[in-house]
Amino acid sequence: MSPTTAMYVAQAIHGLAYGMLLFLVASGLTMIFGMMGILNLAHASFFMLSGYFCYTVITVTGNFWLALLIAPVAAGICGLLVERFLLRKVHAQGHLAELLLTVGIMLVILEAVKVGWGTESMMIKMPNGLDGLISVANMTYPIYRLFVIGLSLVVLGIMALILYKTRLGMIVRAAVSDADMVSALGINTPLVFMLVFGFGTWLAGVAGVVAAPLLTVFPGMADQIGMDAFVVVVVGGFGSLIGAFFVALFLGELNAYGIQFIPRLAPVLMFAFMAIVLAFKPMGFFGERE
Amino acid sequence: MNILETEGLYHDFSGLLVLFDVNLEVKEGERHAIIGPNGAGKTTLFNVITGTYSPSRGRVTFKGKEVTGWKPHNLTRVGMGRSFQITSTFSRLTTFQNIRMGILSKRRIRFNLFRKVDKMQNITEETDDVLKRINLDGERDLPASMLSYGKHRSLEISMALATDPDLVMLDEPTAGMSRDETHHAVELIRRLTEGKTVVIIEHDMDVVFSLADRITVLHLGHILASGPPGEIRESQAVKDAYLGETEV
Amino acid sequence: MRNNLSRWIYWVVGLVILAIYPQVVGIYYTNVFVGFAIFGLYAVTLNLLLGYMGVLSFGHAMFFGAGAYSTALALTHIQGFPLLPALLVGGLAGAMLALILCPLLVRVSGTAFAMLTLAFGQLIFVIALKYREVTGGEDGVGGYPIPSFNIPGVVSIDMTDQINFYYFAVTVIIVCLWLLWFYTKTPFGSLVVGVRDNAMRIDYLGFKLPQTKAVNLIVSGCFAGIAGAIYALFQNLVSTLGVLDIGTSFAPILMAYIGGLGSFFGPIVGSAILHLLEDVTFRITEQIELVNGLVFILVVLFAPMGIVGLLRQAKAKWFHKEKVS
Ligand SMILES: Nc1ncnc2c1ncn2[C@@H]1O[C@H](COP(=O)(O)OP(=O)(O)OP(=O)(O)O)[C@@H](O)[C@H]1O
Ligand SMILES: [Mg+2]
Repeated sequence: MSPTTAMYVAQAIHGLAYGMLLFLVASGLTMIFGMMGILNLAHASFFMLSGYFCYTVITVTGNFWLALLIAPVAAGICGLLVERFLLRKVHAQGHLAELLLTVGIMLVILEAVKVGWGTESMMIKMPNGLDGLISVANMTYPIYRLFVIGLSLVVLGIMALILYKTRLGMIVRAAVSDADMVSALGINTPLVFMLVFGFGTWLAGVAGVVAAPLLTVFPGMADQIGMDAFVVVVVGGFGSLIGAFFVALFLGELNAYGIQFIPRLAPVLMFAFMAIVLAFKPMGFFGERE
Repeated sequence: MNILETEGLYHDFSGLLVLFDVNLEVKEGERHAIIGPNGAGKTTLFNVITGTYSPSRGRVTFKGKEVTGWKPHNLTRVGMGRSFQITSTFSRLTTFQNIRMGILSKRRIRFNLFRKVDKMQNITEETDDVLKRINLDGERDLPASMLSYGKHRSLEISMALATDPDLVMLDEPTAGMSRDETHHAVELIRRLTEGKTVVIIEHDMDVVFSLADRITVLHLGHILASGPPGEIRESQAVKDAYLGETEV
Repeated sequence: MRNNLSRWIYWVVGLVILAIYPQVVGIYYTNVFVGFAIFGLYAVTLNLLLGYMGVLSFGHAMFFGAGAYSTALALTHIQGFPLLPALLVGGLAGAMLALILCPLLVRVSGTAFAMLTLAFGQLIFVIALKYREVTGGEDGVGGYPIPSFNIPGVVSIDMTDQINFYYFAVTVIIVCLWLLWFYTKTPFGSLVVGVRDNAMRIDYLGFKLPQTKAVNLIVSGCFAGIAGAIYALFQNLVSTLGVLDIGTSFAPILMAYIGGLGSFFGPIVGSAILHLLEDVTFRITEQIELVNGLVFILVVLFAPMGIVGLLRQAKAKWFHKEKVS
């Protein structure tokens, strides 16, 4: 392989890794949107929160794998509580109140984190064995990025299994596409809402832990992925998992090659892309409703 | 003379054909009822005529001018008015403000940025006049959403008329009303549409036969019959498709 | 008659208080007041969209920032640029930006509108951050000359004097607020409210929906730009992080919501509350944003109509009681 091709391939894998992480964050966001009709602006905060939990677990135990297990669950539980004790209370007031409530939650999590852990950025060491480089077909590649892709695929697989093979998954899919119908069937929708919210924040939490060694842990660590996740949900179509998947991968690549060729404009590309898509398809690619 | 005509009108929703070769003729000054079973396509026909959608095929002519695919505001400006099957008022505005919106449109006051609307004496007077005529002056300052069902429907009908259209299209104005309310609504319609052309979708046969000069029967998106009430009452095809079921 | 008289009395009392305020409270609170007033105007322009037209602008900082940057850049690059044109440049920039965006913005509502404005807001933020030759990036543009208020042959008032600037800013803001208040009372203003309640009916009544929304967007953008321009004159420093970031977009939403979306003056009350709160909090803790966030959550949970809504409710109850007893 020539060096240029190798570079292109490396960027592609880079983009894929970011795209997969992005999907983990965006999938929770889009499911929550599908069910409740609101874009949870605090969603990325759980990504960051989980990064901090990860830092604490590693400080205490020294074990990354334990952190990968515990931190997302802790973030998910925070998500459950937020849904149960805050969002549910304003559901009757309509979408605007819910949307604004998530803004408040976002502010509070951000500031609480600053109080709890400070504003310094903190390193997370990659686990042993994943911190090296690997050579394939005479090019070298950081193992950790491949691990990110692999782990995301596993999570994606578990998600697909739950959604498509279990009764709960069936109910969730139905709730995402038509919440009223599900409650008409006599299913406890508030419970389903809460579980999906928790699951969605857990997914963001997994992404947060996995991203922590790459980004380091700091209050702004979710800024980019959070924004990008919105773009994914909006462009992919509100409430569409399939749409989110494709758009996440596409944006991952757009980002990777954008950084390589037009570093200055790479962040602009995302938003320009979103603006263009929205201008022609206000509901996104796979979305059907407001 | 025909004030409204459709020629070979088709409409489909992503493949589902809902209107099929509809040729409707409405004469100036008549009261024209459109009847047909649920899902026959009556509301869709209204939507296509009044500009909610463009038809997939066919032409709509209003006052001798082709208006196919025109947007609602343009149709309103040339004298078409419409009420909705599902009440559609400005729910947080008062009854007075709801009607005033129509009066402003009628007076072509749109981008006026230089006077307070409350200080426009003639607008206020005209709006209050209308409120009196539709017996809503007692509810003048109540938000539309707080009106009783019957009064809210009256407001809906009146908003279609507030712009003083030549052709009024009413989509099931008495839907969901009690006997009494229906009676009042019919009186109201009769009074307010004096000298205007009316197209009315209606399920209540008493209302239809008491009000209409002509009746068109729509069935499965197609016109089954069209004619004076007596003729429609006698038509076997209409009986089979429609009247038979509802008159039980 | 009596009503008219009491209105005059309110106005006079209000103006007198505003006139003696800086003499009473000293320079620090004079500046706090200017900050409150600028954000009050800015929040009112947001509420023109949110409360009046029913769409949430999540990127309102782009209008504020456009105004602030245009004024700052005009003052930096054009020698002897006068004061009032500096304000107008800001308003014009906000209006132009709204005009450019409105072909896209008028087509959407609800969540899509919020997301589209968020996207454009971020887009402009990122562009401004990257093109540091023009915008100075994080450092921003600062230290430009602040022109005096000049009527040749009559007066020349030095605007770098903070008390003078207070009078100037408050006058401009009151005039702007009065114009906007009048605007909401015109027939066109009532049309905008109609769009919020039922856009389809507006169309069916014969009004052009996209044009109506566009005009309101441009008015909102224009006055947000003027607020930004006053900010630029006040701070003598405009930076991306200060005028274009997402925090600057959230602030007026917070103010409008806390004050109450249902009333014209609600957002001003909201701005006052947040500024006071900030002042008080600052004495106790550094965590201003944390307190803001908590207050916001509490308001959404317990006072969805905002403070003004709460007061109205209390007033209604009070009068009701009086009648009964
Ligand atoms: N927006 C839409 N998308 C898809 N299908 C639609 C839509 N609107 C109406 N339909 C379908 O078109 C058919 C005709 O509907 P329409 O509302 O015109 O009937 P109708 O005669 O007014 O009935 P009703 O008496 O119940 O008001 C129905 O089968 C309906 O399900
Ligand atoms: Mg119908």
